[in-house]
Amino acid sequence: MAETGKRRGCLGCSFPVLIIVAIVFIAIFVMGFLAGPLGQALFGEISWLKWMSVGRPEPHLPAPVLFHIFGLPVTNTILAGWITVVFLVLVSWLITRHMKLVPGRVQAAFEAIVGWVYDLCQSTAGEVNGRKFFPVVATIFLFVAFNAWLSLIPGYGSILLGQNELIRGANTDINTPLAIALISFVFVAYFGLKLLGIKWLKQYFDVGPLFRGIGRIFKGKFDFMAIFSGVIDAFVGFLELLSRFITIISFTFRLFGNMTAGEILLLVTAYLIPWVLAVPFYGLEILIGFIQGLIFAGLTLVFATMAVTPHQEESH
Amino acid sequence: MDKWIPALRVTGIGFYIATCIVGGTLVGWWLGDKRPLYMIIGLVSGVVLAFYGAYRMIKPLINNNNRKENG
Repeated sequence: MAETGKRRGCLGCSFPVLIIVAIVFIAIFVMGFLAGPLGQALFGEISWLKWMSVGRPEPHLPAPVLFHIFGLPVTNTILAGWITVVFLVLVSWLITRHMKLVPGRVQAAFEAIVGWVYDLCQSTAGEVNGRKFFPVVATIFLFVAFNAWLSLIPGYGSILLGQNELIRGANTDINTPLAIALISFVFVAYFGLKLLGIKWLKQYFDVGPLFRGIGRIFKGKFDFMAIFSGVIDAFVGFLELLSRFITIISFTFRLFGNMTAGEILLLVTAYLIPWVLAVPFYGLEILIGFIQGLIFAGLTLVFATMAVTPHQEESH
Repeated sequence: MDKWIPALRVTGIGFYIATCIVGGTLVGWWLGDKRPLYMIIGLVSGVVLAFYGAYRMIKPLINNNNRKENG
């Protein structure tokens, strides 16, 4: 039977193309290995492969100041944060400019992302509160995730301005995660106060029972158990308050640690075996960016939901 | 979608516990001018706070499970 012209292949490519790609990939890997410090240590320096080697990474944690605006220092990470903001605003504007009832590919992709975050908010906080929390939660998710993804684009960390990098991933500066954590904290406090009023503060400053117990002493009744349980309530309130502040620190260090470690990992892999070894780690960083965005936004949502749920209701 | 919420709650616990314990120890170390007794008091306070916070975070999960088991 004659061939119908249908070619066998894998991943949308024919086998000959795949074999050529694999050979090129392996060749670059071997050449990168020989050009890198591992290959040099084993086989000595090969002069004609020198152009492939990558400089020894020297990561610096503090972000260098590039210039000042009205006396305020602008670092390379602030610049990267602004790029993310401009990118998100532009993309949102472009996509929502000509919205169609039957969406195109890009519109459908963004509708899927936003719809997914919206569903997450509603299933966690309920229909009414979910709608209120959605703008902040979605903003945190998109900002954190796109900060991470955009920092993988060539140019970040490689374009120099004098001695310093012009732009560096915003999440790798501890001030950015701290700022987002503080926004998350203020947002939770705002909704707690707005929806529960003074009851929200009561969980942190539960000194009423203690004062009532002390008040009884002045009336001539000494109730040890009332004072003791009042002290316990006040202590639990203090623990709650401390716990809220520690959450800010843990939010900050989680994002900062993951993103900085990711960046250093990419630098080190690109240095050890230049060109090819870093590629799978780039894929890993895309996933980590998504997960970190989800964790930051999701935990903000969970804490906001806890803040607007009275304690009695929560324990039932 | 329901599976995401418990997962997110649990994800937050690890870093929270680490921050409490490390933070408590460092605060004790700093307050006591590097004396070991204050460092141990800070460490114990951090551990207490870590357990309390972790309990508060997983309490809704336990309640949910109990509710499901009781129908």
